Amino acid sequence: MSEFDVIIVGAGPAGASAAIKLAGAGSSVLLVERGDPPGSKNVSGGVLWGDSLGSVAPDWEKAAPMERYVEAKGVSFLTKDSKISIDFRSKKLQERRSGYTVLRTKLDGWLSKKAKDAGAMVASGITVDKLAFKDDRVIGVEQDGDIITSDIVILAEGANPRVAINSGIRERLKDRDVAIGVKEIIKLPEKTINERFNLTSSKMGFASEYVLGFLEGGVKAGGFIYTNKESISLGLVISMKEMRQNNNTRSFDLIEQFKEHPYIAPLIDGGRVDEYSAHMVQEGGLKSVPQLYGNGFMVVGDGAGFSFSNGMVLQGMNYAIASGIAAAESAIKAKIKSNFTMEGLSSYEERLKSSFVLQDLMNFKGIEEVTWSDMIHRGIPNMSEELFLSLFSENGQPKAHMINLLIRAMGHSDVPRKDMVINMYRMLRRM
Amino acid sequence: MVLEIIVMIKQVPDSQEVVIDPVTFTLNRGAARNVINPADENAIEAALRIKDKTGAHITVITMGPPFAESALIDCMSRGVDDAVLVTDRAFAGADTYPTGLTLASTIKKLGKYDIIFAGEESTDSSTGHVGPGVAEFLGTDQASYTSESWYEDGFVYAKRELEEGTEIVKMKPPTLITVLTNANDPRRATLRKKIDAMKKGIKTMTLADLGMPPEWVGLRGSPTVVKSMRTIDEKKREGKKFKIEEIPKLVDELIEKKIISI
Ligand SMILES: Cc1cc2nc3c(=O)[nH]c(=O)nc-3n(C[C@H](O)[C@H](O)[C@@H](O)COP(=O)(O)OP(=O)(O)OC[C@H]3O[C@@H](n4cnc5c(N)ncnc54)[C@H](O)[C@@H]3O)c2cc1C
Ligand SMILES: Cc1cc2nc3c(=O)[nH]c(=O)nc-3n(C[C@H](O)[C@H](O)[C@H](O)COP(=O)(O)OP(=O)(O)OC[C@H]3O[C@@H](n4cnc5c(N)ncnc54)[C@H](O)[C@@H]3O)c2cc1C
Repeated sequence: MSEFDVIIVGAGPAGASAAIKLAGAGSSVLLVERGDPPGSKNVSGGVLWGDSLGSVAPDWEKAAPMERYVEAKGVSFLTKDSKISIDFRSKKLQERRSGYTVLRTKLDGWLSKKAKDAGAMVASGITVDKLAFKDDRVIGVEQDGDIITSDIVILAEGANPRVAINSGIRERLKDRDVAIGVKEIIKLPEKTINERFNLTSSKMGFASEYVLGFLEGGVKAGGFIYTNKESISLGLVISMKEMRQNNNTRSFDLIEQFKEHPYIAPLIDGGRVDEYSAHMVQEGGLKSVPQLYGNGFMVVGDGAGFSFSNGMVLQGMNYAIASGIAAAESAIKAKIKSNFTMEGLSSYEERLKSSFVLQDLMNFKGIEEVTWSDMIHRGIPNMSEELFLSLFSENGQPKAHMINLLIRAMGHSDVPRKDMVINMYRMLRRM
Repeated sequence: MVLEIIVMIKQVPDSQEVVIDPVTFTLNRGAARNVINPADENAIEAALRIKDKTGAHITVITMGPPFAESALIDCMSRGVDDAVLVTDRAFAGADTYPTGLTLASTIKKLGKYDIIFAGEESTDSSTGHVGPGVAEFLGTDQASYTSESWYEDGFVYAKRELEEGTEIVKMKPPTLITVLTNANDPRRATLRKKIDAMKKGIKTMTLADLGMPPEWVGLRGSPTVVKSMRTIDEKKREGKKFKIEEIPKLVDELIEKKIISI
C-alpha cells in the first residue's frame, strides 16, 4: 500500500492544477514545493493566455488573482534610435479571449490554497531529491534519505528538471534547449500606468513583445512589457547559445540597455524596481520534449518542454495548466483500473495530442530558428527603420517609388538581400 | 525518565517592509511575510542537538495569532515532537510582562519541564525581556546569550558569550537558556517529518485553558504605555551609475569625495 495515490513535485501552475483536479476527485495527494510559501521561488509576472484555468476553477475569472485583461497587444522592433510597432487594440479581444496579466507570487499562492482546500497535503519549503524506484517502476520520491511512496509521481518541477535528470529519466539539458529569462517588477501608480499605456481603465491591460535589435555586441534577445494593476513586468529572454557566443554578456546589463532605450525609458520613469529574478525558459520546442510518462510517473509543464516563444508571445503557463489537468485525468483513470504502469498511463499522451498543448508545439516546430535569426533581429528592424525614415521625412527631394525604397532599405538591413527573401518565406511558412 | 525541553518561538515579519502606522503607533505587519524569529531558529537547533544525544522530548510553544501555525509545523518538520499555539483575542497588545507571564503559565500547564529555550531577542521588538521574564516567573535558573549548550549526568551546561570571553555555567534543571542569533546552523525540514507534522497537527490553548484572569494578559495586563513614536525618514541618496569598465573613474570619485582614501 502506498502512502499517497499521487505525489506531485512542484507547485507551479502545472503541479498545483494537477493537485486541485486530483484532490477534487478524491485522490490522496501530496504536493511538494521548494518555495515557502509556494510562488516565492517563481519569476513573477506574465500573461496567462486563454482560459485553461476554467478546468481548475469554473469561477476563475472572478476568484483568481488576475491583474488586467489584455486588450492592447503590441509587437515592436527596436533599433538604437527607433521603435517600429504594431499596437493592436480591439474590443473584440474580449470576445475572442486573449489573456490576463498575472503576478506569480499571487497566482501560485492562490492555486496552492485551492489545492489545500480540495484536500491535498501541501508540503512547502521542501526540495525533492529524486524519484524512488523499485525495479523499473517509480514507487515514490526520495528526500533527505527518506522514501515517501505513491502509486504515481507527477513531475512538475519547471524548466530546470533536476529531479528528472538525477533520476535518469531524461538527459541533461543542452544549451540549444534553454534560454535565460530575466524579469523585473517595477512599481508605478495605477493612474500613471493607465496614462502611459493609453489604457481606459485599470482593468484594461497592455502586453507587448520587443525584438531588441540594438543591444551592444549584436546580442539577440527578445524583450517584453506587461502591465499589472500597480506595476509593470519588464524583462527579456536570451538564448543560452547566444549568451555563450557573446561571452561578455551579462543578463542584467542587457536589461539595463532595454530600460534605457529612448522609447522605453519614459514608460518606466520614476518606477521602483520591486523584484528582480532570473529563470530558465525552455526554448527547444518539440525536439526537447522528453519521455512524458513511464511506469508510475508523468511529466508536466515546463519540465516536459511544454512552452514556446516565437518572439511575439511567450507562453507556458497555459500549457502547464492544461498538461497538469491532462495528467490528473489520466491518473484518475489509472486508479480506476489499478494500473499504474506505462500502459496504464498512456492516455496522458493521447490527451496531450488531442489538445492544443502538443498541437501547438508541432505547428510551431522549428520556430526557434526563425526567432533567433539575424533577419528578425537586424534585417527587419533596420530595413523598416530605413523605409519609414524615407517615407516619413521630407528633404526637398522627389519621392522614390515604394518598391525602390524597399529594395534600398533592404540594403540597410545588415543581412544579404537574398537571405532576407529566403528567410521571410521560411518564416511565413513556419508561423 | 525523558528529558522535557520547551522551546519558545515568535513569528516575526520578514524584511524591511514593516511600516509603523502613523496614527496608532503600532507595527503594520500586514504586508510582510512571516518567518520564525531568527534567534529562535537557533534555539530550536540547540534543543534538537540535545535531543539527538539524549532522546529528549521537545515541545515548541508560541503566543500569537492563528496563522502562527505554519511556523509551528515548520519546527515539527525539523524534529520537534509537539507544538502548542497559545492564542486568544485577550492576548492582543501584550507588552513583555504579560507575554512572559502567559508563556510561563502555559509551560506550567504543560507539566514537567527540564530545559526551556528562547531566542536572545526578537527582530521586530528586540527587547530581549521575554526569556529572562519567563525564568523569573517560573523561578528557574537562567543562562542568557549562549552559543552552545549540552546535558550531561543530570546537569545542563551552557556556554555564554561575554565581552571579555566565554563563560560555561553548570545548572541543575529546570533552567532557561537564551540562544544567540547565528549560534549554530539550523537544520532543514525534511519531507518525512513534515508529513508527520501535518498529520499530527498542533495543540491550541486559550485564556480559558490557562485559567488566568483576563486583566493579567494582553493590553490590560501591560504596564507599558507607548506615548508617541517617530519614524525616521530615509535620506535620499544621489546615486550614480558606473559601467564595469568605469571602475577606475568610480574609485577616483570616491577618493575625491573623501569617502575612501588610499
Ligand atoms: C511599536 C511597539 C512598541 C513596543 N514597545 C514596548 C515597550 O516599550 N515595552 C514593552 O514591554 N513592550 C513593548 N512592545 C511589545 C513587545 O515588545 C512585544 O510585543 C513583546 O511582548 C515581545 O517582546 P519582544 O518581541 O521584544 O521579544 P524578546 O524578549 O526580544 O524575545 C526574546 C525571545 O522570547 C521568546 N518570545 C518572545 N515573544 C514570544 C511569544 N509571543 N511567544 C513565544 N515566545 C516568545 C522568543 O524565544 C524570543 O526569541 C512594543 C510593541 C510594539 C509593536
Ligand atoms: C522571464 C519569463 C517570462 C515568462 N512569461 C510568460 C508569459 O507571459 N506567459 C506564459 O504563459 N508563460 C511565461 N513564461 C513561462 C512560464 O513561466 C512557464 O511556462 C510556467 O511557469 C511553467 O509552469 P510549471 O508549473 O511547469 O513550472 P514552474 O512555474 O517553473 O513551477 C515549478 C515549481 O516546482 C518547484 N520545484 C522545482 N524543483 C523542485 C523540487 N525538486 N522539489 C520541490 N519543488 C520543486 C519550483 O519551486 C516551482 O515552484 C515566462 C517565463 C520566464 C522565465
